[in-house]
Amino acid sequence: MEFGLGLVLAIIGAALAVLLAGIGSAVAVSAVGQSALGVLSEDPDKFGSLLILQALPGTQGIYGLLVGFLILLRTGLLGGSPADLTLAQGWGFFFAALPIALGGLVSALYQGKVAISGVYLVAKRAEESGKAIILTAMVETYAILALLMSVLILLSINV
Amino acid sequence: MLDTKYAYALGRIRVLETRLLDAGKIDRMVEAKTAAEALKILSESEYAPHLANLENENQFEQVLAAERSRIYKLLRSMLPETGLVDMFARQFDYHNLKVLLKAQKLGEKHYELLVPDVGNIPLDELLLAVKSGDFQSLPPRMRRAAESCLADFHPQLVDIRLDVALYKDYAALAKKYRSRFLREYFTYLADLINIKTFIRIMRLKHSADFLAEALLPAGELDLTVLSDSSEPLAALTEHLAKSRYARIVQEGVKHYRETGTLTRYEKLADNFLLQHLKQAKYVVLGPEPVIAYLLAKENEIKIIRIIMVGKINRLPTEEIRERLRDVYV
Repeated sequence: MEFGLGLVLAIIGAALAVLLAGIGSAVAVSAVGQSALGVLSEDPDKFGSLLILQALPGTQGIYGLLVGFLILLRTGLLGGSPADLTLAQGWGFFFAALPIALGGLVSALYQGKVAISGVYLVAKRAEESGKAIILTAMVETYAILALLMSVLILLSINV
Repeated sequence: MLDTKYAYALGRIRVLETRLLDAGKIDRMVEAKTAAEALKILSESEYAPHLANLENENQFEQVLAAERSRIYKLLRSMLPETGLVDMFARQFDYHNLKVLLKAQKLGEKHYELLVPDVGNIPLDELLLAVKSGDFQSLPPRMRRAAESCLADFHPQLVDIRLDVALYKDYAALAKKYRSRFLREYFTYLADLINIKTFIRIMRLKHSADFLAEALLPAGELDLTVLSDSSEPLAALTEHLAKSRYARIVQEGVKHYRETGTLTRYEKLADNFLLQHLKQAKYVVLGPEPVIAYLLAKENEIKIIRIIMVGKINRLPTEEIRERLRDVYV
């Protein structure tokens, strides 16, 4: 079985979606986790709300995986009978991956920053954890928009 | 990407900040009828463990020393590298060196003034260096300063030369951490101390050369230009009228003219520095909140000292309140 250049581009796109969004999430979740552990070492009762704050910037990685998965599905790579993509179709899949790859990377890092501020708020006022979680979730909007555009481009390519 | 070096420490510090003495507790201490009663209020705070083996309230300095030593140990343990805390601990190395040098030369051993367990250099090592006159084991700048102090010994020169060396260390370290916050803090601190030095030296009518040697090099103000003025205080106020210290100097000098003391100036200067530190509250990832917490703790220790000294000397409540600094929280 030989892959055409079109298919190679689609595979690169799938890999980038998972890779970049995953890196953003990993760095952000790690940073929030470290600050949350600092709080917990002084005040172990705050685990519940800190766990949610830590998990929030982790979603971008999942969105990246979803897009990568959809690309493999659409191109038939997952079924074992890959379609013979033209170069134009290949570029189409490649660019379909970019919104969530880059949007995911950047939004995860910035959401991480808000989440860390949220951790500090919870450290001072445990009763305000709801607000910290809501404000952190606002950044999620842009990860979801990126995911939406990735999926729309993906579905609009006829294979 | 996110710089996570201080993430853990900052999380912890945000909790620790909630345990600083708040205005309410300080107010109750000021209102307390006796020194013992004021000290008792500290048993509801982080100071509680140190109160246990205290014989009477006149030994409150022990409590403050124990708390300071605890904070330095705690901060060193939670940071990935201790350079930042060591930088602030450096002042105690210089302080101990001053005490030991003077004890050696003057024969009056005021060892109760030494600060153990906080600085970077163990007391034994410092004592050995001073006794033998061999300062090889000390950091280069400290060594040179100590040697020059012994060359032409005068108690006042010891303070001046070691302070100058300390502030050179501070400036070098601020540069190393590339922190604008730190650089500004040390600049403001040096400037505010220089203004105070200027006022004192002018009162004693020392020479311009002496002033030039006594001023710390880390500040941004050049006060030597005022040394030949016939009205140094007026010249100072005018010289600084457009600087960031204008209000502090104006009010401080006014109070100084009326009472002959710099207490108002010192209070305003401390509050100015504290205001600078409060910027750190908005830092998400970075070393600034660590420094701000450390200095907030030093500020708290100073506040307790003012209250306790006032209470032991039976100063009126109003007079104590007048001298108090702002709090960080």
